[in-house]
Amino acid sequence: MRRLITPACLVVICLLGLAELGARVFFAQDISGRFDYGYNPQAGFAERADGTVELFRAGGRRFYPQTFQRPRAPGVFRIFVVGDSVPRGAGLKKAYPWLLGQELRQHDIRAESINLAVPGYGARRCQIVLQKALTFEPSLIILHFDDYNKWEDEREWRRSQEFKGWHPRHWLMKIFIFRRLYEAKLEKVFWPLVPEEIRLRYAVNDADAQVAAGQDPKEIAARIKLAYDTAVQNVAMVRARHIPVILVTQCRLEQDGHHRLYLTDHGLDALGKSLAGPGVYHVSMKEVLSGQDIKRIFANFSGHLHQEGHQLLARALCAKIELERAALGIPAPSVTVAERPQEAKTAAPAGPSVPRKP
Amino acid sequence: MSFISWQYFIFLPVIIISYWLLPPRRRLLLVLAGSYFFYGCWDVRFLALVLATTVIDYNCGLSIAGRKNRPWQVLGLALLPAAWCLGCHLGLPAAGISDNLLLISVGLGLAFFGAHEAIGLLARGRRPKYYLVLSVVFCLAILGFFKYFNFFVGSFQSMMGVVGVRANWALLKIILPVGISFYTFQSLGYVIDVYRGQSPVCADFLTFATFDAFFPQLVSGPIERGRNLIPQFEKGADFRESHIQDGLRLILVGLFKKIFVADNCAILANYAFASQTTLNGYWAVIGVVAFAFQIYSDFSGYTDIARGSARLLGINLMENFKFPYTSRTPSEFWGRWHISLSTWFRDYLYIPLGGNRGTRWETLRNLTIVMLLAGLWHGADWIFVLWGAYHGVLLILYRVVPPFNRIPDKDGAWTWRDVLAVPLMLLFTLVGWAIFRSPSVSFLAAWFGALGHWDSSLGLSWESSSLWLLFHILPLILLQVLTWKYRDEATLTHVPWLARGLVYTLMILLIVSSGEQDKEFIYFQF
Repeated sequence: MRRLITPACLVVICLLGLAELGARVFFAQDISGRFDYGYNPQAGFAERADGTVELFRAGGRRFYPQTFQRPRAPGVFRIFVVGDSVPRGAGLKKAYPWLLGQELRQHDIRAESINLAVPGYGARRCQIVLQKALTFEPSLIILHFDDYNKWEDEREWRRSQEFKGWHPRHWLMKIFIFRRLYEAKLEKVFWPLVPEEIRLRYAVNDADAQVAAGQDPKEIAARIKLAYDTAVQNVAMVRARHIPVILVTQCRLEQDGHHRLYLTDHGLDALGKSLAGPGVYHVSMKEVLSGQDIKRIFANFSGHLHQEGHQLLARALCAKIELERAALGIPAPSVTVAERPQEAKTAAPAGPSVPRKP
Repeated sequence: MSFISWQYFIFLPVIIISYWLLPPRRRLLLVLAGSYFFYGCWDVRFLALVLATTVIDYNCGLSIAGRKNRPWQVLGLALLPAAWCLGCHLGLPAAGISDNLLLISVGLGLAFFGAHEAIGLLARGRRPKYYLVLSVVFCLAILGFFKYFNFFVGSFQSMMGVVGVRANWALLKIILPVGISFYTFQSLGYVIDVYRGQSPVCADFLTFATFDAFFPQLVSGPIERGRNLIPQFEKGADFRESHIQDGLRLILVGLFKKIFVADNCAILANYAFASQTTLNGYWAVIGVVAFAFQIYSDFSGYTDIARGSARLLGINLMENFKFPYTSRTPSEFWGRWHISLSTWFRDYLYIPLGGNRGTRWETLRNLTIVMLLAGLWHGADWIFVLWGAYHGVLLILYRVVPPFNRIPDKDGAWTWRDVLAVPLMLLFTLVGWAIFRSPSVSFLAAWFGALGHWDSSLGLSWESSSLWLLFHILPLILLQVLTWKYRDEATLTHVPWLARGLVYTLMILLIVSSGEQDKEFIYFQF
């Protein structure tokens, strides 16, 4: 029986054991909340002893790495932008949450704009992020609303519940190093190398079901209704704390039968308008981007924008905040923008700090 | 229950541990019960078919050898499938066994009993031949009905339509029982061997039933010979550490081939061979190369897992693949690809037809017949017949036409000629896979047409997809280089232990990197 464990077998056990141990010791933060599929309210927010809050990324679906002080400094206008891959953008400094902070600071507002967008998050998972974000004294919440990820929200909820169970199907993936490797291959090899059309057509990881669901009118209607209801709840949750909200409704680029491009909001603008009222403002992405060279500002047909599009949105949001300055409790500027002295610019806070890459 | 499902990885250790803890005589009972459970996980109804094949061939084998059971024993065994159907009907209403099905199973049991006993009334010298015919007729009737009934009826209707006759026969909704071609051929092979005196008869029903339903090779082979497997069951194996080591190694290699190589190549092959895909030359090539690696890794991976599972029980199953893409000629290819099937066709069809003992034309005729039937064995579709015909033509080409007929197909030392012969044969094989995988003849024409259009603006980017393909086939090629020395695709014992440990670790990591997929094996459908 002793000969069952051969030297080669020992090498395998030792290598895998060491890898797992090393990962759990040195990448503990990476593991935290990793198997919750976005349903862990702590995942992504790490409160440090020195009073800073760190938003981190673990290679999966997390926030861009950013830090801010837990107690909001007096006079700082703290904005949290909650949403999916569209507000997240192609990079922290290329997306409109960051650009909005810059715009506001140029308008003499000591703004701290934090990007809390995570790709694939629908209204349901955004609600979890929002619940946590509300504990960090925001001055304004920007809810970027899209109904596209509702299906994914449900799927990930199901997965998170399954994963917590005893089912042997998940035993292998409970080994951190295996799960990490699987995700790494998916993100670093599968997505970049296999064209999207193939991934969507045949795919792996329920994409076929997602596509099928996306084409069934009944499913679409049910999904949109759920997304709407959750968005309404999210707005109500923020307003219950007397925090102002800007609801940014998503639009997407589509193509008609004659290959003409057009923008469509899938009825989201109507929802945004219906919710607008005291303390709730609405910015329509479609209205902001109409009349622009949409072929250039959109990255693809799913609503993702190039930096130019993000810049336009940031300016529109800045204008909205300027317009509602008093209602938002932002003190009037001492001097106009045109007259602002150079030193005033430099005196404004620089927004959230971005940790340096290790 | 698939070999790559989590259920199998609970089922297998339970069987293995219980097997080695039990006294030898009880082990067979455990393996048989485990095999029926394994098969029943797909569809309990079709266990009646496995039982029917077992009962028919067990009785016919005994009777051929002149050791005929008493009539009441034959009747009791013949009604076993019906008893199983009745049990399911009463105990498992969800199995969906109707009253009609129950009556059919009783009727078939009685028909077999009647025919069997009628043959027993013939003169002693004539009986073996008729028992053989009885076995072949019953087994092929079951196979033909479940696998080919709709195909032949549909083809007949189409033919009638061509000559202007409308035949509106409704096709039946027949579910193809998993592995029916495999266990039917295995069982038939045993009866033929007994008839020829090449295999001892198995008098113990438990042993024979285990041979017929042995779970590692029940659904996709290798199609074993009675003379190899039955003595191993009869003799029983003593526990040795090497059984466990070899078994685990084979299973690991099989999982690597299936999960890492086959399933990932399938993503590209499925795209390239979908009827709605716009193909260009690049995608036609990527698709067929991906499919070549998919089908090879899928099936040889299955075989490795099957051999590994059997090895854990101390049983040796035959090799089914020996580096088939290094073949120089079609006959060498068929000596390396799905060896258990090609040798089955050789032993039980090609040689009885006359093999290569007659004139050159008779040999070519025999080759064509065998390859057409081998194509049809793979599926009830004309595209498989076309694939078989293509390989028949290749075999003829390499026998008749110079310079192809000068290429030796013996597995000897490599010469400079192999540098040309192997890639050429690989090219022919790839064309064969394009036929095999095409969803229709019109798609096949489009595939050949695409080879003339090397315009990358048509279709998706092929560059990154080629990298994906390379990423998955290179580790397999490296593994084959490592195992080449021992001419066994899963033997790594000559590699130093440290390197072996690293290779195993890498294989495990590559397997898990491909995730939680639970895809079926291609050969289940045959």
